[in-house]
Amino acid sequence: MSWDAIVIGAGHNGLVAAARLGQDGKRVLVLEARDDPGGLLGGESPVAHLPTALNPAVVKGLALDRHGLKPGRPLTTVALGGAEPVRISGGTVTGTDPTTAAAYAAMHARLVRQAGALAPMMAKTPPRLRDGGLAEMMTLAGLGLKIRRLGKADMQDLLRILLSNIWDVLTDEIGDGPLAGALAMDATLGGAMGPRSPGTVLPFLYRLAGQPRMRVDGGALIGALLKAVQAAGGQVRTGTSVERILVGDDRVEGVRLNSGEELRAPLILSNAHPRQTLNTLLGVAQIDAEDARRARLMASEGMVARLDLTLSEPPAGLDAADFGERLVIAPDMGALETAFNAAKYKEMPARPVLECRYDDGAKRLTVNAQFVPCTLKGGWTKAARGRLEKAVTGMLDDALPGTAARVTAIETRTPADIEAQYGLPGGHWHHGEFRVDQMLMLRPFGGAAQYRMPVAGLYLCGAGAHPGGDITGLPGWNAAGQAIKDGRAGK
Amino acid sequence: MKYDAIVVGAGHNGLTTACFLARAGLKVLVVEKNDYVGGAAVSRELTPGWTYSNCSYVCSLLRPEVIRALELPKFGLQVIPYESGATFNSSGAYFNYSSDHDALRRELMRIDPAEADNYDRFARAVMKQCRFIKPLLLRTAPDPTSFKPRDLAELFYIGKRFHDLGERDMAETVRFWTMSIAEFLDEYLTSDLVKAHIAGAGIIGTGLGPYSPGTAYVLLHHYMGEVDGSIGAWGFSRGGMGAITRAMAASFEASGGVIRTGSGIDRFLISDGRVTGVALENGDEFHAATVISGMDVRRTFVEHTDEADLPDDFVKGVKRYRFRGSSGKLNIALDGMPTFAAAPKDARFLRGDLHFLDDMEEIERAYDDWKAGRWSAEPYMDFLIPTQIDPTMAPPGKHYATIFVQYAPYELADGPWDDAKREAFAKTVIDKVSRHSPDFADLIVHKEVRTPADIEREVGLTEGNIFQGELTFDQLLFNRPVPGWAQYRSPIKGLYMCASSTHPGGGVMGAPGANAAREVLRDLGRKIDLGAAA
Amino acid sequence: MSAARKPRDQVAMGLVPGPFHDRLAPLNVQQGWMNWMGVASPSVLDTVEFEYFAIRNQATVFDISPMNKYRIAGPDAEAVVNRLVTRDIRKLKPGRVAYAIWCDEEGNVVDDGTVFRFDDGTFRLCCQEPQLAWLRDVAFGFDVTLTDESADVAGLALQGPTSCAVLKDMGLAGVESMKPFDIRSFKVKAKSVTVSRTGFTGDLGYELWMAPGDALTVWDHVMAAGQRRGIRVIGFEALDMARIEAGFLLPRVDFLSSQTHMRPGRARNPYELGLDWLVHLDKPHFNGRRALVRLSKERPRRKLVTLEISRDKPAHHAYVYHRGKKEVGFVTSALWSPTLKRNIAYAWVDAPYCFDGRELSVEIYRQRELIWQRRMERATLVDRALFQNPRRTATPPADF
Repeated sequence: MSWDAIVIGAGHNGLVAAARLGQDGKRVLVLEARDDPGGLLGGESPVAHLPTALNPAVVKGLALDRHGLKPGRPLTTVALGGAEPVRISGGTVTGTDPTTAAAYAAMHARLVRQAGALAPMMAKTPPRLRDGGLAEMMTLAGLGLKIRRLGKADMQDLLRILLSNIWDVLTDEIGDGPLAGALAMDATLGGAMGPRSPGTVLPFLYRLAGQPRMRVDGGALIGALLKAVQAAGGQVRTGTSVERILVGDDRVEGVRLNSGEELRAPLILSNAHPRQTLNTLLGVAQIDAEDARRARLMASEGMVARLDLTLSEPPAGLDAADFGERLVIAPDMGALETAFNAAKYKEMPARPVLECRYDDGAKRLTVNAQFVPCTLKGGWTKAARGRLEKAVTGMLDDALPGTAARVTAIETRTPADIEAQYGLPGGHWHHGEFRVDQMLMLRPFGGAAQYRMPVAGLYLCGAGAHPGGDITGLPGWNAAGQAIKDGRAGK
Repeated sequence: MKYDAIVVGAGHNGLTTACFLARAGLKVLVVEKNDYVGGAAVSRELTPGWTYSNCSYVCSLLRPEVIRALELPKFGLQVIPYESGATFNSSGAYFNYSSDHDALRRELMRIDPAEADNYDRFARAVMKQCRFIKPLLLRTAPDPTSFKPRDLAELFYIGKRFHDLGERDMAETVRFWTMSIAEFLDEYLTSDLVKAHIAGAGIIGTGLGPYSPGTAYVLLHHYMGEVDGSIGAWGFSRGGMGAITRAMAASFEASGGVIRTGSGIDRFLISDGRVTGVALENGDEFHAATVISGMDVRRTFVEHTDEADLPDDFVKGVKRYRFRGSSGKLNIALDGMPTFAAAPKDARFLRGDLHFLDDMEEIERAYDDWKAGRWSAEPYMDFLIPTQIDPTMAPPGKHYATIFVQYAPYELADGPWDDAKREAFAKTVIDKVSRHSPDFADLIVHKEVRTPADIEREVGLTEGNIFQGELTFDQLLFNRPVPGWAQYRSPIKGLYMCASSTHPGGGVMGAPGANAAREVLRDLGRKIDLGAAA
Repeated sequence: MSAARKPRDQVAMGLVPGPFHDRLAPLNVQQGWMNWMGVASPSVLDTVEFEYFAIRNQATVFDISPMNKYRIAGPDAEAVVNRLVTRDIRKLKPGRVAYAIWCDEEGNVVDDGTVFRFDDGTFRLCCQEPQLAWLRDVAFGFDVTLTDESADVAGLALQGPTSCAVLKDMGLAGVESMKPFDIRSFKVKAKSVTVSRTGFTGDLGYELWMAPGDALTVWDHVMAAGQRRGIRVIGFEALDMARIEAGFLLPRVDFLSSQTHMRPGRARNPYELGLDWLVHLDKPHFNGRRALVRLSKERPRRKLVTLEISRDKPAHHAYVYHRGKKEVGFVTSALWSPTLKRNIAYAWVDAPYCFDGRELSVEIYRQRELIWQRRMERATLVDRALFQNPRRTATPPADF
């Protein structure tokens, strides 16, 4: 059986890429190892329970609204654990003293301006550091110009904080507390850095670049993407795992499935992790030792565990208005740093910080518990899982006293489980740590940042590629765009 | 009394600036609060017969251009190199670093057959970065927001150097500047002991741990001296670190400069946005159109300048500037040479820097203690006995040990430092040394214990930060000390900064002092001659 | 951790003795020692001329033990070696040796060396620069064992027209039937010795490999057998003369490993080095292949060429000029060849002058009793291997 293109992995980026290729007239097959499509958005209780970063260019480009995706609604984050809940929505915050609220609004406005200068880079293939063509020089020059046009004060401030840590910035601007804790969570969620780690401001700015954050329904998004793929003539095969990418004469020729079946296509987009794509699916024999080394050394230690708690009744003390909203339990930045302290030694934090969502219909509280190491000292034994569950319910009970007693069942997925279930090295949400040395023209690593992998016809279209993680759809969108462009240029 | 220029603070940077200005023909006065010159580069006799380098303790980064231009050897500076060091771990093993490449290779192969190759690769990666950064030390950092020809030319110069690295090394450079030292070392090396030996260089004096991103580049400070085969990069100045500043003072006075010790500054005299001189604590006033502060940026602008004379943004920037003292120091007079249980007899490496730790995690945990407001239970130490090389620092047969300790907070979680805590801190350190050197404690005849609070009180370094402020990216290059004010000038006309709060930062380097002198002379329409190498 | 083994003494500084040192030291009347991987290696033992002429007329021994030697063994050994080097190693049969180069991802040469294939799954790599870290990277993901056996194998080069006769006199039965690049095992005084018909002189020659503990026994036996054949011990300087005549490159002299240079733009690719014949682009992927495919289509920006220079003064460290004015290159190795009676040099020359060698000259300084003279000598491009003698490859070798 032969196709114009094969996409490995039906995560949202794989589907976006497939739909875009299909729109270009290509006959596309998407292969998904799991039984349901959607990647971290798929399954009965998706890991990504609060997608808020979907890029409008993707929605528009694939006409997702026509395929049933409803417009998103603004995200509200509710920071629990203080005297009263702090509600954050864009630049507005309630539940704090007015001075803090004003300081937050000012900071938010400035950071959004600064992030705006970086935003145009997100929907583009990053330029090469050098030796690129004129167009790439223009992209770089454009970024420089954007930053210059911020004006002297904003530019100076941006260049000061760019590589700095979120701890210092928030301490300077709004002071510590549940608000700072929730914001620091935005800077660190899904990664392996505590708020005091230099380099945590950049992910924060990145997330602000997509402002305003609109919540979409994850299941509906995947449904719309599947329809978009089908409408463009593509097919999705689930329960089909790829064993190898086949190469002939230094070009991709297709894939071999675990079943032994071989499928042919001159173009392959991999939504798998870069390490997986290069060192496993393609195989080290097909690439230079230096690339294999870079893929091996990529920082990709995930630190988020997932717990699904079934409750007998809603969490104690939670306002019904906050059902379904994003709840953050991180009393202050110190709580994040302390939790991270343990995780960096591959130990279990006594008090993990939480990002939760309560679904009243299902009576289910989904919890992403942060700074839980993937490789735990002593291993993920039953006892270790028990300790994690106890730590999480303990945190819940501190913020919403009485909730622990309402928990009737807990289903736990450690980062190691996520690694195994989704084929994600390190269980890392973002297919690789999101830091300066692994972003833009260095994502996933220098010399491989333009979606093109070393073998002709192979592209990376997952979160390991620029602009990285979160449910933006942009890596898939950009990668497909690059593949189409290269195809036209005869590469 | 009227001078062309007044320098406040007789530390090594203040004296460097003063020397350059005096040599350019200016009439220069240096005022110093202590009764002696030197700032944090001093030799002090705190117990009869022993000389302590009681703050900074090794001479490694002092720019050759400064030594030459100030003719420091002529004024008495003698630097005696040391060439090795070692790290002992708790199971009785050690790693002996040697600058002799063959010896180092053999030692690495003793630990792990592949480690010698790994190390060569690592050393080359660091050296490439050193080659890139070294020429930037003695240049004023350009303001990226400015459109002035000079800033644009300087940005172009840096951009071109970066571009010339080639695509692969450009990527490596970005990684190197933003990675943690632990991750960088993990990439190249496998032995915990070897990594531990090197990692300390990434965190000395900082409020970061080896796992913190941004610590890898601090390695450069360690390796800088060795670029292009410069020899004598690491050494002791004979007679202690004070010999450096004594030579500077002598050089300065030989050029007609005047030094007044014993009274610190009360305030800068400012009128109509222009500096006119300084008023000292003892009531003396001196006038000059140019005043250069060798104090850190907070002391200069918060404690000795009226806030009303400064723009709000600048004041905000200064107040935001982070010091975060994190280092303590023990100076110890020893009755004899201590023995080290794990060391072979007559080990050469005992003359170098010694460390006692198992792995990088031990340093990171020491850092966690500091974050929590405690001194480290298992501190990282840089331990040297300089008297093996420079016997002038102790009576015959006796020895002097300098122990730099990382981490100790400026403020403890349970309240300010007091004598009991200081003594407990010293005990933590001495106990750890004693685990490796059983006779060490018994040989102690005198000790001086210095917490960050002590360093601040005595030397004037805010919060006891040895670099006059953290060396994190938000406080480096064009961000140091305050964005927009990174070229040694201040919002007050005629008032300059010349010390480690400015680019390129701390260490007994003399580079900020030289750079500041260049900017002062530039404003006066003169040029500075650093010689061909600069 | 192995570091827990406490050494009795601290690690040695400077040069350490090699396996043949006890024999070399008394012979080294010049006391000229060089540092070769930290081992004391003779530069000249008594007279460089005598040593050189022994290579071309008699037999010589040179201690090559300090060379880096790596064993690559296991089911994927062939795949790993083939991934490492640019030539097709699948064609190398067991019992044979091949000269090879290997490249980084940019197609620049990491090092050159010889690959020994002992059997299907066992190889040895002999080379100048330490390569263990590089080998580990190349072998990542493959089922092989890499062992640094540099200190476990002593090597003695026996080179010169009478070298085969010496081996025969030692009782190495059938050694004369070994073809160039053959490997064979023998017993010498009950000690195991592996002999390869390889060398760095361009002449008839062999290399003997043995356990370091057997080194002195083998040495004594070689020297005793060689007495009648005019055997001499030589140092590096004589060897260097022979290798320049023979067209062999020396890393760190003629080119730098792409893993050791510090400055941008110092690495060199096989096309620049004139080693195109070692690059087999038609085999499956190997390290640097994609870059080499690209480079193979471009004209090199410079080349390492061999120059023949007028008069007799070796052109050490000389610049190369075009029309006496434009600087177009520099010399890396230079020699007045005593056998060929020609003045030769290797030089890096920029394009297009490395292709069209007309009107090239080199600048030669000579001192005449403290007075320096500068002369521009005419230089012409010549083939690299100037010394070629049928005795190098004749099998069986003639009995000289």
